[in-house]
Amino acid sequence: MRRLVAPLAVEARDIRKHFGSVTALDGLTLSVNVGEIYGLLGPNGSGKTTFIRVLAGLVRPDAGDITIFGRPPRDAVAGGGVGYMTQAAALYGELSVDENLRFFAALEGVGDVEARIADALGRVGLLERRRSVVNTLSGGMRTRVSLAATLLHGPKLLLLDEPTVGVDPAQRREFWEHFRALASSGVTILVSSHVMDEASRCDRLGLIRAGKVLAEGSARELVTRAGTSDLESAFLALSAAG
Amino acid sequence: MDPRRVRAVARRIVLQFRRDRRSLGLLFIAPILVLTLVGQLWGSSTASKVRIIAVGDPPPELLDAFKGTDIDLTVADRDAALDSLKAGTADAIVEFQENSADVTVEGSDPTRTGTIVGQVQAALTHLILETPLASFVKVSYLYGGPQYTLLDYLAPVLIGFFAYFFIFLLSCVSFLRERTSGTLERLLASPLKRGELILGYLGGFGVFALLQALVILAWTVFVLKVQYRGNLATIFIVEATLVVGAVSLGLAISAFARNELQAVQFIPLVILPQAFLSGLLVPVDQLNDWLRPISRVLPLTYATEALRSVMVKGYPLTDPLILRDIAILAGFALVVAIAAVASIRREVA
Repeated sequence: MRRLVAPLAVEARDIRKHFGSVTALDGLTLSVNVGEIYGLLGPNGSGKTTFIRVLAGLVRPDAGDITIFGRPPRDAVAGGGVGYMTQAAALYGELSVDENLRFFAALEGVGDVEARIADALGRVGLLERRRSVVNTLSGGMRTRVSLAATLLHGPKLLLLDEPTVGVDPAQRREFWEHFRALASSGVTILVSSHVMDEASRCDRLGLIRAGKVLAEGSARELVTRAGTSDLESAFLALSAAG
Repeated sequence: MDPRRVRAVARRIVLQFRRDRRSLGLLFIAPILVLTLVGQLWGSSTASKVRIIAVGDPPPELLDAFKGTDIDLTVADRDAALDSLKAGTADAIVEFQENSADVTVEGSDPTRTGTIVGQVQAALTHLILETPLASFVKVSYLYGGPQYTLLDYLAPVLIGFFAYFFIFLLSCVSFLRERTSGTLERLLASPLKRGELILGYLGGFGVFALLQALVILAWTVFVLKVQYRGNLATIFIVEATLVVGAVSLGLAISAFARNELQAVQFIPLVILPQAFLSGLLVPVDQLNDWLRPISRVLPLTYATEALRSVMVKGYPLTDPLILRDIAILAGFALVVAIAAVASIRREVA
C-alpha cells in the first residue's frame, strides 16, 4: 500500500526532458519514501544526473509532475530542505575547508555555524583538516568536504550524484556508514551510481536506462524478478527485457 | 533579496582574491607599468629636432635664421640629401629657387609630416619677414598651455581605459571559473538567488576595482605628474562608476565563453573597439558618420568625455555634462548587471 497521507520524499511522474535532439528523460516515473536510501542505478548517459538536477531545481522538465515533500523542487531547495552534492567536488580551492563551509552555511542561513561545521566535519572525519586549504587536499578528502558542505543546513533530502567516485574502498565503506546513519536519523537519500556493490546497500533501487525506469525494487527483489544470481546480471537481463 | 547572502558572496570573493597573489599583482602592477611606459613615450614636451637639408644655393642668412630654433639645418648636394631622407637621417629637403622654396618630406607618417611642414613654414616665414612668427602671432590657451604634453591630453582616457580593461578581464575570467568549475551549479541549488549572486560579485570585485582605480589615479597624478585642473574626487567618482560597469560587463560576457582562452579572445571584440572609438586615438567629433553612433553607445566614450572635461577643462561635478555622463555610466552598469543576472540560466545542458 502506498502512503496516501504523508507526502513522499520524492514523487516523479512521467518526467520528460530534451536537450536539443537528445532525449535525457523519457517518461521517468519513480517515488522515494521518507527516510530511505534510494539508488539510481544505470550506465553513463542514462539520465541519472539530469534527473538529480531536476530535483535540485536546476533543470525544468519539458513535461511531467515532480514534487519534493509535496512541493515543487525549486521551492523545496529555496526552503533549505534539499542538499545537493555534485559529481565533482564543488568547492573553492583557494579557500580553507572552514572558509568554504562558512560560505555555504551563510547561503543556507545556518545558525550556530561553529557547531554545525564541527558536526559536519566530524561526520566525514575531517575535523583536523579544518584549516587546510582545499587545493592541498586529496580528491577523496575534497569529496568528503563537499559532503560536509551538503550536510550543514540539515537537509531532509540529500541528492548525491555519484558521491564515491575517486574515493578509496575503505573511505567508500565509511561514506556508506554515514549515509546509513543519516537515513536512520530520518534523512532521505537519493544516490546515483553505476557501481553494483554500492547499489546493493540501498533500500530500494531504480534501474534507469535511456531516461526511463526499467525496474524498481530492492536489490533482492530485482535479482529474484530477473531470475539471476547477482545484481549485475539482473540489471543486464532487465535492460534487455525493457 | 537577503543582504546576508550577498555579503557572504562578496566576502568569499575578497578572501579568494586576496590569496591569488599573481592576479592581485597583475591588477595593480600591470596598469602602473603600462602607464609609466606611456608616460615616458608621450610625456616629454620637447619635440625632437627637425632635421632639414638645404640644397641648391641656400642664402647665407638662412643658416643664421635657423640658429636657436627647433630646426637643425645642414647643407648638402641633392643626391646626398635624398639618400639621407630615404635613410631616415633627415626629415625634409628644402631647395631654394629664386622666389620660392621646394620642400620634400619623407611623408610616410602623416602626423610627423604635419609637424615638419609646419616648422619649415614657420622658419621660412621667419626668414622672409625677418622677425619670428611668434612675435606677431600670439597664442593664448583656453585650456592646456605651452607646457601641456600629449600625455596630459591622453591621461584622462588612459585612466579610464586601464581601469576598465583590467577589471573587465578579471571579473570575466573569475565568473567563468565559477561557471565551469561546477560551483555555480552548486550555488544555484541553494537558496541563493541569481540577483544576490551578481550583487555579491559586484560587491567583492567592486572593492578591488575601486582600489585599482584609486592606485591608477594616484600614480598618474602624483608620480607621472600629469597636469589636471578639476577636483580629484570628481575624477574618482567618474572612474568608479565606469569600473562598476566593467565588473558587470565581465560577468555578462563570461556567459558567452566556454573557457578562459575564449574569454581572452573577447578582448579584441569588446575592449579594442571601445579604445578606438571612445576618443583615445581620434576625437569622437572627428569620427566617420557611421562610426559616431557606435561610439555613442560605448560607455568608455562617456567616461573619456567626462574625465577629459574634468581633468583638462576643470569642470566641476555639478556641471550638467559631467552629471549626464555619470548617469549614463551608471545606467550602463545597471543594464549590464541585469543582463548578467539573465545570463545565469539554471538550465545548462
